[in-house]
Amino acid sequence: MIPGKYRSVSGRTANNVNCGLHLVIQTSSLPEKNKVEFRLNKETSSFPGRLLQHDLERNYSSRQGAYKFNWEDKGYISGDGRVISPSPRNKSACISSTTNVTELCGLEMKTTTSSLSAFGDSSIQTPSKPRIRQGCHSAGPNVSGDHINLVSSSMPSFPILQRSSEEKILYSDRLTLERQKLTVCPVIDGEEHLRLLNFQHNFITRIQNMSNLQRLIFLDLYDNQIEEISGLSTLRSLRVLLLGKNRIKKISNLENLKSLDVLDLHGNQITLIENVSHLCDLRVLNLARNLLSHVDNLNGLDSLTELNLRHNQITFVRDVDNLPCLQRLFLSFNNISSFETVSCLADCTSLSDITFDGNPIAQESWYKHTILQNMMQLRQLDMKRITEEERRMASVVAKKEEEKKRESHKQSLLKEKKRLTINNVARKWDLQQHRVSNFVTNQDRKDSDSPSQEPCQIDGSTISAFPEEAGSLDSGLTNSLQGLSVTDTHLVEVDGDLLSLYGSGALESLDRNWSVQTAGMVTTISFTFIEFDEIVQVLPKLKIKFPNSLHLKFKETNLVMLQQFNALAQLRRIDQLTIDPQGNPVVNFTLWKYYVLFRLSHFSMQKINGTEVTPNDMIMAERLFGILAHVASSELPQYRLISILGDARKKHFRYLLDTKGKKSGIVNEENNDSKRLVGENTNRATLNYTTREFYNEKLEEIKEKKKFCKMYIEDLVKEATEINMKNEALQKLWPQMFIELVRDAVIEIRNKNSYMKLCLQQITDQK
Amino acid sequence: MLSPERLALPDHEYLARRHVLTYMEDAVCQLLENREEISQYGIARFFTEYFNSVCQGTHILFREFSFIQATPHNRASFLRAFWRCFRTVGKNGDLLTMKEYHCLLQLLCPDFPLELTQKAARIVLMDDAMDCLMSFSDFLFAFQIQFYYSEFLENVAAAYQDLLSGRNPNTVTVPTSSSGQHRQRPALGEAAMLEGVEASLFYQCLESLCDRYKYSCPPPALVKEVLSNAQRLTFYGFLVALSKHRGINRALGALPDKGDLLQDPAMDEELERLLVQVPGLVNSATANPEASCLPSRTPPRAGSPWRPPHPSRKLETESDGSTEETDQSET
Repeated sequence: MIPGKYRSVSGRTANNVNCGLHLVIQTSSLPEKNKVEFRLNKETSSFPGRLLQHDLERNYSSRQGAYKFNWEDKGYISGDGRVISPSPRNKSACISSTTNVTELCGLEMKTTTSSLSAFGDSSIQTPSKPRIRQGCHSAGPNVSGDHINLVSSSMPSFPILQRSSEEKILYSDRLTLERQKLTVCPVIDGEEHLRLLNFQHNFITRIQNMSNLQRLIFLDLYDNQIEEISGLSTLRSLRVLLLGKNRIKKISNLENLKSLDVLDLHGNQITLIENVSHLCDLRVLNLARNLLSHVDNLNGLDSLTELNLRHNQITFVRDVDNLPCLQRLFLSFNNISSFETVSCLADCTSLSDITFDGNPIAQESWYKHTILQNMMQLRQLDMKRITEEERRMASVVAKKEEEKKRESHKQSLLKEKKRLTINNVARKWDLQQHRVSNFVTNQDRKDSDSPSQEPCQIDGSTISAFPEEAGSLDSGLTNSLQGLSVTDTHLVEVDGDLLSLYGSGALESLDRNWSVQTAGMVTTISFTFIEFDEIVQVLPKLKIKFPNSLHLKFKETNLVMLQQFNALAQLRRIDQLTIDPQGNPVVNFTLWKYYVLFRLSHFSMQKINGTEVTPNDMIMAERLFGILAHVASSELPQYRLISILGDARKKHFRYLLDTKGKKSGIVNEENNDSKRLVGENTNRATLNYTTREFYNEKLEEIKEKKKFCKMYIEDLVKEATEINMKNEALQKLWPQMFIELVRDAVIEIRNKNSYMKLCLQQITDQK
Repeated sequence: MLSPERLALPDHEYLARRHVLTYMEDAVCQLLENREEISQYGIARFFTEYFNSVCQGTHILFREFSFIQATPHNRASFLRAFWRCFRTVGKNGDLLTMKEYHCLLQLLCPDFPLELTQKAARIVLMDDAMDCLMSFSDFLFAFQIQFYYSEFLENVAAAYQDLLSGRNPNTVTVPTSSSGQHRQRPALGEAAMLEGVEASLFYQCLESLCDRYKYSCPPPALVKEVLSNAQRLTFYGFLVALSKHRGINRALGALPDKGDLLQDPAMDEELERLLVQVPGLVNSATANPEASCLPSRTPPRAGSPWRPPHPSRKLETESDGSTEETDQSET
């Protein structure tokens, strides 16, 4: 901004001459003529660099035509051109300058200069100058002492000012007392016709002795030490009151100045806009460089066209929409940080120029288009003309913004819905957990499964409104949000590489047709509120559907046993494992981590619960459980090995069969899987996990078999013992039998002849 | 082979008494379960292997609880297996909770009932502060008593309750014979004033119990020795004494003495060998873990009477092939 200031400084010098009206011109021209003592006045024009900020502010306003008031406009001095301009020519120039500057005000310096050059072109300036100077010259001596006598009156403190009669005749309507080192207002006698009075650059602390100047139109008390506005109650005709650079703390005592056209209070210490609502003719109000913290109380200022509030500490603006004629509003260098705090500006239809530079709001990326979008009436923003292009851009951006907003609204709605769903799932889970734990103590687990369905049904009815809402919302959102299905009992969410599953129902979603891209992107899968045993059943599916999943998260999954981790061994790969202590009692065990490392050692995991796995951990794990693996692998009888591995395979096969009918494809997969299973780590493969359900089933099966075996063995043993008994009996009988046989034989062959005869007989008979 | 008992009893009864039937049934059951695979390498081999594993005590690994507790031999084998597998946990000095011990038990027997573990923990902790940490040896010896003499202890508890309720020894012995009767009698609170029961009376009860008891029970002489050390004692006091008694441990024969509990040089050697192969250490990650593991499998097998060469080789080659594959894909 600094360069701009300098620019405005340079502008000022020019303006002083051109459009700052006669008064300003007088100030600059006065020292030239008044060589006696007021040389220092020169500095306003010759040393612009040394100007104070106050001057700048004043100058800034003046440049923008702050003090231009069209006398003719008001018809105020219609017949009295001389008041302002000695010649009608000059008058016209003045008018033109007014219109010009009004038009150009708030523009960049460039345009201002161009307006200046316009002035030069009009060649009004040059001729007007000397004339005014002359006027000034004649007015100047008022002070010099030649024509004016400052006589101390009867009252000791007030000097009395008198002018010579010719002076009075010549400049009956104006009096300039600039830089007179006045500390009080002098008593001005016999000047009832005075219309312009200038006390710039004095040390006046109090406005006094003015009550007789009832025709005063213009009163300039710039750069004094006035602390309170007072003593003006009789100046009913006053139209311009310049009180810049004083020490005023409060706007007050303006009640009678109903015709006030310009009120300049810049560079004071005013904290509040007040007591101005009766100034219905006021067109320009300058409150720059004060201590205002906000803007309101602007009712009644029906003619106000320009309001300068630069360099305050304004944080919010109100009431501006009650100013029907406001065209220019300067809010530069304040503390406005959001459009909401100045939103009333949007309703101010007459507003065409506004500045916000030097406010926090101007730093925001949305600043320009927000302003433009909300204030279609603007023609200039921060001194720059608003082009059609900019407006278009703004509306485009605003539309985008709006869309974004709607989107974020949708998002938040969705988030809320997600929250609700999760809450619901959590409630259901809690209920289920409670019930299950009750049932486990009383009954077989199998029974507990069916009653546990009840609570979810109840849940479903209690929030029956929710699914409908979900339906309508989903339809609108499916496009913008990839793969997000919400129902009241479970939730599936894909967020980048994270797949989150809430509630056991969510596992069914794994059956859906995931796009290869989505599935490939998922590297982290999080399970919440799902029974681990249920997760185990979908692990084979998971392996196929999400081949890149490396990080598994479990929360509220009822992980209670070390052996449950065995189930994870069948996955393709795990880099990270996160087991939330919440709802997973297994994490409370001292050994769980080592067991995981041991059992899943073939994955060479990198992190468990966010902690890096060190080689020492691996050694420790091996030290603790290596023997188990060794025993399990080397000492397990072959038939057991076969049956355990076979079980695992069968189990696998069954999961897959359960889920899909495409047999041919699966058989191939299955073969690969089982191979992998064997290859995984033979000495660990025997450590596997069967879910309770399956285990119970297996036990049932075994029971059946056992029953059969028992019967079979019983029969077998019975048979065997019977045979044994018979055998024993035979053994007992046999010796005797043998003896009997031998005895019979011996008896038979005792008579050799008869026996031979018998034998012969038998032979012949056979023939 | 021909013990006097063998001749005294009918064959069938003898076999049942000796649990031979149990094993026969189980063998057939196992055979049924894996008909196809086993028939490939011979049913005779299968039976040989089965009964060999029974002899070695490895038959109970990962079996269902009903089988593990079916015979005293199975129980002792399970105790021994548990000790062997998790001795390292004790060696590491970890103190664990009941639940964690239970988890370890479940690693060997998936449906091991929590109740038994709880009871064992109660012996160690003497009360219901079940979340306390226990040392491995304390737990193991308590668990041994509780698991091996499970039914016996139940009867002892009943007898103890009867004694507590203030009956004289003559009548005591009668109700202990029937476990149903004592439950009808509420335990009297007044007896608690003098804590426990008189040791001599208690012994009389136990002696008669042991006599009649068909399940295994500790040798009466040793029980007498345990009881002779105190005038009065409580039930848990008795159990603790039992669990800490060296003679009973020896009689049971599953575990080494307490002093040697953490020693198992053969296994330690084995472990050292395993440790070398831990993946993530030095270059072993690239080495084929399966292949290097397999030799470690063979020595114990070589020690066993026979080894089914065909299927195991098949298994090995299969695993070898797959790991080579993965190795190649990794490098």
